[in-house]
Amino acid sequence: MSIWHGLRERLALLRRDDRDRELDEEIRFHLDVETSRLETAGLSTAEARRRAVEVFGDPAAIALATRDARGGLPLEGTMQDVRYAIRALSRNPGFTTLALLTLALGTGATVASFAVLDTVLLRPLPYRDASRLVYMREINVQRAVSPPSHPNFLDWRDRARSFDGVASAMFPYPATVRSTGTADPERVTVMGVSRGFFNVLGAPPVIGREFSNEENTFGGARVAMVSHEYWQNSMGGRSELGDITMGGSPRTVVGVLPPRFQFITSAGVYVPHEQMPGTCRTCRNYMVVGRLRGDATIERARAEMTTLSTALIAEYGTDTNAADVEVQPLLEYLVGDYRTLLGVVFGAATLVLLIAITNLLSAQLARAWAREREVMIRAALGASRTRLLRQLTVESGILVVSGTILGTLLAHGLTRLVRIIGTGLLPRLSDVTIDARVALVAAGIMIFVTITVGLYPAMRLSRGAGALAARGARGSAVSVKLSAWRALLGFEIALAVALSVGAALLVRTFQNIINADTGFASRGIVTAAVTPSEADAARLNEALTELASLPGADGAAYTTRLPLSWGANYAPVRRRSDPAGPDWPAMAGFRMVSPEYFDVLRLPVLRGRTFTPSDRDGVELVAIITPGIAEKLWPGEDPIGKTIGTNYLMDEWLTVVGMVAEASSWTQPRGMQNEIYVPFTQHVHALPGQGQVVAVVRTNVAASTLTNSIRTSLRQTLPNSPATVGTMEERIARSAADRRFAMVALTAFATVALFLAAIGLYGVIWYVVTTRVPEIGVRMALGATPGSVLGRVLASALGVAGVGIVVGGIGAMAGAKFLSSTLYGVSRLDPQAYAISAGVVLLAVLLGAWGPARRASRIDPMVAMRSDN
Amino acid sequence: MARDQSDLIPGTFDMLILKALSLGDLHGWGVAERIERLSGGVCGVKQGAVYPALQRLLLRGWVASEWRDSENNRRARFYRITGTGRRQLERELASWRRATSGVERVLRASAQET
Repeated sequence: MSIWHGLRERLALLRRDDRDRELDEEIRFHLDVETSRLETAGLSTAEARRRAVEVFGDPAAIALATRDARGGLPLEGTMQDVRYAIRALSRNPGFTTLALLTLALGTGATVASFAVLDTVLLRPLPYRDASRLVYMREINVQRAVSPPSHPNFLDWRDRARSFDGVASAMFPYPATVRSTGTADPERVTVMGVSRGFFNVLGAPPVIGREFSNEENTFGGARVAMVSHEYWQNSMGGRSELGDITMGGSPRTVVGVLPPRFQFITSAGVYVPHEQMPGTCRTCRNYMVVGRLRGDATIERARAEMTTLSTALIAEYGTDTNAADVEVQPLLEYLVGDYRTLLGVVFGAATLVLLIAITNLLSAQLARAWAREREVMIRAALGASRTRLLRQLTVESGILVVSGTILGTLLAHGLTRLVRIIGTGLLPRLSDVTIDARVALVAAGIMIFVTITVGLYPAMRLSRGAGALAARGARGSAVSVKLSAWRALLGFEIALAVALSVGAALLVRTFQNIINADTGFASRGIVTAAVTPSEADAARLNEALTELASLPGADGAAYTTRLPLSWGANYAPVRRRSDPAGPDWPAMAGFRMVSPEYFDVLRLPVLRGRTFTPSDRDGVELVAIITPGIAEKLWPGEDPIGKTIGTNYLMDEWLTVVGMVAEASSWTQPRGMQNEIYVPFTQHVHALPGQGQVVAVVRTNVAASTLTNSIRTSLRQTLPNSPATVGTMEERIARSAADRRFAMVALTAFATVALFLAAIGLYGVIWYVVTTRVPEIGVRMALGATPGSVLGRVLASALGVAGVGIVVGGIGAMAGAKFLSSTLYGVSRLDPQAYAISAGVVLLAVLLGAWGPARRASRIDPMVAMRSDN
Repeated sequence: MARDQSDLIPGTFDMLILKALSLGDLHGWGVAERIERLSGGVCGVKQGAVYPALQRLLLRGWVASEWRDSENNRRARFYRITGTGRRQLERELASWRRATSGVERVLRASAQET
């Protein structure tokens, strides 16, 4: 019989909802009966009700204890815990929302940063067996690293045994390309490639084929390969590849590369560069990639290349000056420079996560202490310690799991944003996604946070329940909390300070970069690069006049390269007395300009004159140089009137007629950007490179407002030569794109950190004030003014903040070491950055403390002392 | 305040509930009230504590419950002691008496007896 009753009880568990309802009804009935009994005894309804609950004990805790006693099916308890936890969390929507937001921000920042770090630094390159690819550069006799020359590349390819293949690509250049069958020509980036380039790289075309060796030879057929994107957008994805027109004549398209393919930089069209092999061993325009042979190590390849370099020097003597070869993994070459920066960003994000965890931990501690009563009742009514532990952990677990999921969704949104705005900022940034590996990291974070935020306070609470109850006095418990909280808050503030310092240093760096002295007035300059067709080339002067007369324009000039760009056109210069050989006295960039160039750029003329229209073809060839060249070639002498030669104009001697200030960029110290200027008018037949011409327009309004009218004007005057238009400011900012990325990330993180620290402070002080209402009431009854109470609360917050700021500042000084190589024009100990950060953090602290402090100052002593419980 | 329970010798609360029910069926409040009244308020237990205890007794089959109208015409859950419950109560009372008489003897012991 009894077995039957017990069984019926257990079966009834399956109808748990009914049972819960019944239990609630039973308790309600009990309280009603007790209330009416007390009313009969003469108490007011409200008082009777209060007494009834008091003699009953906390109804919620009793209900839970009864359910505990019921035991149940294996998963039953956990489901019950989940339901109970959700109920508890939704009873406290303010806390729950803030906790979820905190967690979402912390995990969102960390997961997104990891996704960026993973995509840029860790993921293999999208080539077959990419880890076997190495990038090779020359190390010259002066130990400077530079791209190799074509003849040296050929010798490496023919003789090195450590590789399955060695291939090269030329630094890309822009060209005007028209896909046959479409009306508009476009300015497209073109890259020349060597034989077997795509095979060595391990990125075969998805349509068609790679160039044959016969095609990639002097006199080979006019062929081209195109990127998947060019094929889609400009060739309409047609299956019959057909022709494209480049430089006035057609090329047969033989292949289409995989989607998103790029080698170092992206290009739209690829051409076989061995049709026009470079013959100069000291002209360096090539990017060389090698695929290590099956058993070869990179060390072996290095050793072999060193031996080979020695042999080449012995063989060619003064024709080469490559003393050694730098061999490094291709991935390392591409992303090595960004490791520190992305490490800093990821580190900063983990600090945000730490702050979030700290916040949550202190909030959970507060809640745990606030729930001592409930827990003690349940423990007394027979709930086991593990049961209590589980219950509390489930609650934190729900919070953490939902917070982390929200955070991962946030990270997903952030990576989308990064993909949109980050393209071109850092290599591979446009590929950033939340993939399985990133999701795994998110899961790891979730487990870690669950343990720190959930388990610790729960254990403390369930272990401490008995002890606290025995001690009984509430005051002592609060003081235990306070010291723990001070530490947590101080830690949080320290982290916020460190983040703010990092952000401030990067903001200053970026400001310094965009304001760096370039030697000319770089603000208000718009550049428009075109590769003119033959017909358009005749209209260049007319186009320039049009540009100069645009409203807002204040002069225009031509040059062959964008200002502040040197790169490939760097070649030796020599005096007439210097023998041809590897020991040239100086290197210089080479640039053709129109007479107005120096005036438009406001590049100071230091000596002599600038070009005039009378520097024409057929008269004495003239040049303008920078001071660095004069110092090297004619130290202490006046360079005006001397003659100079450059590898860019073989067999020509130029008379120096002027000296202008060096135009330099922030990336290179002054003195490194020597340049030799020659007038267009004397060399129209010898445009170097691919015939690019850059129009430089000085504006007297914000430069960006003129880009569109310049584009429109050029479309009319040079209809067959599309232009790439941009402002100088943009280009300088883009040259610091990695810093800008770090700056934006760290500023965002610091803002979130300040926000979280303020919230944390607010929550804790609010709680402390609440638990101390009676004490504060007594103080006020004894004569403390609201002002003094307010002051005391604020002072205690500021005390914690002060310690946090000092600790954070010291931490930042140490941590900023990682930033040293990233900073520009600002010390990692910059007092201003530290002062600003301390100020901002103090402000956040005051904002966080103000609300609860005001509340404390408004406590009514009479009310406070009466409600002592 | 929750430690008030410690006034009670562990395990005795269940026995008191069974005893209270052996005098007649009761709802939860009635059980609490009867124990409190019969003990003269000595067992200062929170009234709510009877519910988890009743739940344990239900699971063991020592009591059974059903919903019926109470004295004030509201539905209430009434508990009644089962046959096994009575036998269990007898066993517990027997062992309780054994234990208390032992304790009693010790407490009464005079100097001559040692």
